[in-house]
Amino acid sequence: MPVRFRLMSMRAACVAGAAALVLTAAAACSSGSGSSNGSSSVQTSNSSIPVAAPKKGGSLTVLEGKGFSGDWPLGFDPATNTTGSADQDYYNAVYGQLFELGANGKLIYDLATGYTISNDSKTITVTLRPNVKFSDGSPLTAAVVAWNWTRDLQSTCTCSPASSWQIAHVNPKVPTSAPAPGVIKVIDPLTIQVNLIAPDGAFINQMFDSIPNWVISETSFNKMGEKAFAQLPVGAGPFIMVSDSYSNQIVMKKNPGYWQASQGLPYLDNLTFKSVSGDEAAYEAMLAGEGQVYTDMSTPQLLSESQQHFDVLNQLGTSPYDLQLNTAVAPFNNPKAREAIYAMTNFQPILQNIFKNAYPVVEGVTGPGGICYQPTVPGYQGYNATLAKQLVQESGLDKVTIDLGTISSSPVASETTQALSQEWAAFGVKTTLHTYALNALIQAFTVNAGKSWQAMIQTAGSYDPAGGVGVGFRFMSTAPFSGVHDPQLDKLLAQAVATSTLSSRCSLYNQAAEYIAKNYYGPFYFAFAPANVSVKGVGGPGLSTPLPPVVVTPSILWEDVYYNPSGS
Amino acid sequence: MALAQQVQLQRDPGARSDIARRAAGSPALQLVGRRLLTAIPVLLGVTFLTFVVMNLIPGNPAQLILGINASPAAIAKLDVQLGLNHPFWDRYWLWLDGLLHGNLGTAYSNQQSVNSDIAQYLPTTCWLLLYALVGALVLGVIVAVLSARKPNGIFDRISLAVSMIGLSFAPYALAEVLAWVFAVRVHWFNVIDNNLGGNPFSAIKALTLPAASIGFGLFAVYTRLLRADIVEQMQREDYIVTAKAKGVAPWRVLVVHATKNSLFTLITLVALNLGTLIGAVAIIEPIFSVPGLGAELINAIQINDLPLIEGIVVVFALVTVAGNLIADLLYAVLDPRIRYGSSGS
Repeated sequence: MPVRFRLMSMRAACVAGAAALVLTAAAACSSGSGSSNGSSSVQTSNSSIPVAAPKKGGSLTVLEGKGFSGDWPLGFDPATNTTGSADQDYYNAVYGQLFELGANGKLIYDLATGYTISNDSKTITVTLRPNVKFSDGSPLTAAVVAWNWTRDLQSTCTCSPASSWQIAHVNPKVPTSAPAPGVIKVIDPLTIQVNLIAPDGAFINQMFDSIPNWVISETSFNKMGEKAFAQLPVGAGPFIMVSDSYSNQIVMKKNPGYWQASQGLPYLDNLTFKSVSGDEAAYEAMLAGEGQVYTDMSTPQLLSESQQHFDVLNQLGTSPYDLQLNTAVAPFNNPKAREAIYAMTNFQPILQNIFKNAYPVVEGVTGPGGICYQPTVPGYQGYNATLAKQLVQESGLDKVTIDLGTISSSPVASETTQALSQEWAAFGVKTTLHTYALNALIQAFTVNAGKSWQAMIQTAGSYDPAGGVGVGFRFMSTAPFSGVHDPQLDKLLAQAVATSTLSSRCSLYNQAAEYIAKNYYGPFYFAFAPANVSVKGVGGPGLSTPLPPVVVTPSILWEDVYYNPSGS
Repeated sequence: MALAQQVQLQRDPGARSDIARRAAGSPALQLVGRRLLTAIPVLLGVTFLTFVVMNLIPGNPAQLILGINASPAAIAKLDVQLGLNHPFWDRYWLWLDGLLHGNLGTAYSNQQSVNSDIAQYLPTTCWLLLYALVGALVLGVIVAVLSARKPNGIFDRISLAVSMIGLSFAPYALAEVLAWVFAVRVHWFNVIDNNLGGNPFSAIKALTLPAASIGFGLFAVYTRLLRADIVEQMQREDYIVTAKAKGVAPWRVLVVHATKNSLFTLITLVALNLGTLIGAVAIIEPIFSVPGLGAELINAIQINDLPLIEGIVVVFALVTVAGNLIADLLYAVLDPRIRYGSSGS
């Protein structure tokens, strides 16, 4: 065949191939239900999603994203739970909790029925629910809880409460040595007491999402051994684990011996958790009917898309993002430079254009879902372009390049750093952006005695500012991830932790927020909380009713979750 | 005859040693032996390079395992437990010593034996690779033969267009399109199907979309290459003219003669593409949540789990070496003229 005809054939074939490619991509990208434009904003209020009436029975498949809750590397023994709150869904389902955090911050008694804290906040007494049995038939008693807590305190993982429970140890030099005699006391079969050496008014709030809140069956642990138990744990929660394919799929069934079985709980007969690679895969899987719930969706574009097909519940954030400024190094050892950052930074356009106004601006140490929430902080320096220009010149901020970092796994944080960089560029301030994987982030904070970083965007604060990744984590001079070294602030924060009265504690944290603002230690902007996405007909706390997240994500109360597809 | 030989073997030790000598002198076995010997420096080089690179990446695995709240004391303790406090060379020799004894060590993340982790995930990845490769080859050969039957005919042009699509689409992009069309839209398959323990049919169904994502690009390459080779054979080779002159049926000329002789290039390409295939697995498995070695490798890299990374790298390197060896042996099968070394008889 002549060359030109062969070339024409090749060209025609290439054009046909390209056309087919475009058509296929267009078909794939088209949505069957209209515009996917984010003109609608994600629900931000704390109102519940209207759903059908609870229905007993049925199955639910919950998708969990890899890299966070979709990985459970060491099984389900709380004492080895290095991934922290990421695994709370499974722990809550199997173990239940001593104390649960309900809607509007209401404390719900699950396996415990009450507590008291002494006037000096050093003695905490917990009363257990009577007649509760683990799924192996053994009873939940104060002795079992004591055994659990003693074991937890000696765990070498960072999940151990040894870092937050100020107790006497057998070997005072070894924080994970056994508690000294008398620290944990069994008062009677249903009453247990903890004696601290330093006051801690937030003791119960610190239980949420921490391992002492999940009690394992001592009988089954001793019978099965540590490794086997971690694979098929035994608790007193609403579900029993049937099978666990490591970081892949977990199948659970209703626990017929659950203490609320007489009240018809849990609603569901079967609960399956499946690991997915991320938000996109989860979204497609839900569209394909392969899952009814996806927890912790954070991609803004997909949140908008999901609203077209599913119920999207944005939790009330409790952990605000903060732009940490390292006061130990230039340029932020200069208060004027720090004030310039406050004056240059306008979070409103960022919230509006990137996050579709999904989250309210926060100026203090807790988000709207947490205790001690303070929408505005007296003396907080907001955006002021005129002042910003003046301060930039006075501090010489336009003559240096600011190193601005954040963690790579958070699209929220990454997009914010880019937006801030552009805002600051308008004032002549240059930035170099870094996103770090967790390992590198930790190193960036700690290397060179904490003097290698200048500015970082991180969460700072939690449901109770004293707990989790609380205020102290980011602002106390003893914390490795803090950019502040101020004894006065240390004293204020320590006082706040020690106070048991909520109003006093919040007053102290509000004073701390004012102090941080007055010294320009780091502007807060909003408290982000990933959304939980569910198909129509799914209801329950955390899925149709917002719950305050203790550490970023809320703890779903699985015994109250149901799926009523016919009512959707 | 064969029975007589067996009887002779049983009675005559001399005959047995003679056969052993013949086996030792066998060109194929010599080839296998040489390939296995060259695999040793390859494996050493690959694992050493991996060790170096992973040690250069910032971050401490103990810190990653224990989390951001870990105290320095706890990190130091885990460092000792995991052997991270030893110098680089000590750690590498220790790992190598374990490898020589068949022990790939203990994963940092889950404290499980790397051997058992790999044993858990390897079958899934092998099935996925095989599915993708066999699918691409079988379809590729069929389409290439049909295209070459009538160059520039309608079928040839359609296959060219399809191949262009295959060559243009990155596997990860194709994966998303396939998931959208065949799982979300028409529900023929699942987006995530991480339960492969059921019957073979459900496992095939679960692996179809991932295999298609990996295999489509390969199919495109194989088709174009084989088709071009067959057409050249048919148009330029004297033995084709001879076959036609002798009255051999056109289909037989095409399939038995031309295609068979065109397979050499295809085999070489398949062997060379093994590395690409393995790389694609690491990308595609996470997209479909397939519980295989590729997804496990990505997880291991994210937390700097060096023993697990090294173990998986060893497996992949062995697969590549084995694939190239099979390719070499297939040359000899396809072309009796090819001999490796001198024949003993």
